[in-house]
Amino acid sequence: MTPTHFTISSAFLLGLMGLAFHRTHLLSALLCLEAMMLALFIALSLWSLQLDATGYSTAPMLMLAFSACEASAGLALLVATARTHGTDHLQNLNLLQC
Amino acid sequence: MAYIMLTLLIGMVLGVISVASNPSPYFAALGLVLVAGVGCGVLMGHGGSFLSLVLFLIYLGGMLVVFAYCAALAAEPYPEAWGEWSVLGSVLGYLLLVFGGVSWFWGGWYEGAWVPVDELIEFSVVAADSGGVALMYSLGGGLLVVSAWVLLLTLLVVLELTRGLARGA
Repeated sequence: MTPTHFTISSAFLLGLMGLAFHRTHLLSALLCLEAMMLALFIALSLWSLQLDATGYSTAPMLMLAFSACEASAGLALLVATARTHGTDHLQNLNLLQC
Repeated sequence: MAYIMLTLLIGMVLGVISVASNPSPYFAALGLVLVAGVGCGVLMGHGGSFLSLVLFLIYLGGMLVVFAYCAALAAEPYPEAWGEWSVLGSVLGYLLLVFGGVSWFWGGWYEGAWVPVDELIEFSVVAADSGGVALMYSLGGGLLVVSAWVLLLTLLVVLELTRGLARGA
């Protein structure tokens, strides 16, 4: 495992741990998801760049498009939650059992 | 180049730690901007200048939107930076985990492992990554249609989720 591989894997795992443990805001959870998608993007790009696989560099672009879809759906859920429940605290969502 | 790459990789891990340690969303978005900038540097060092440009533009726009959402929906009277004890505790915990991983893999690393590979060896007119992305418009047309359809579907999903009060979520 080279240092670059270690950095990307630890970035993904740290984002996953930050998503899984103690979140206060729903927006913070979405930001952790964004960090995980960023680590995946860099991993895919570095894979195609280091192996000189030219045709594979479309894959990170398509993944970035899907990541934009995920982020916009998450932000729309955030807006809907803030409108129906008044706040975006995850503790509030737990208490209201929604 | 090896030291520049080492600094960029350390900055990437530190940025993800600053996002994952549960500060206020303002500071988490700032940390994600740091990760995106440093990731651009890593891709530039490996010769992927077009992918780096796309990443920088997309994440700058995305983080602008997230800053707006922070100010509108998740504002706090006393935002928590990384100096608060709860945040600092998780920062130190994650740093300890990363140091454990580094010391586990330390024996397998050598000096040349930091040096990134060069770009294509032959002389070519287009860079490797922009040529590969251009392939999306010829051979990867099906995937292009699929992602355009997914983006359209996401637009409809967002419109339906935010349509009226007491709907959604």
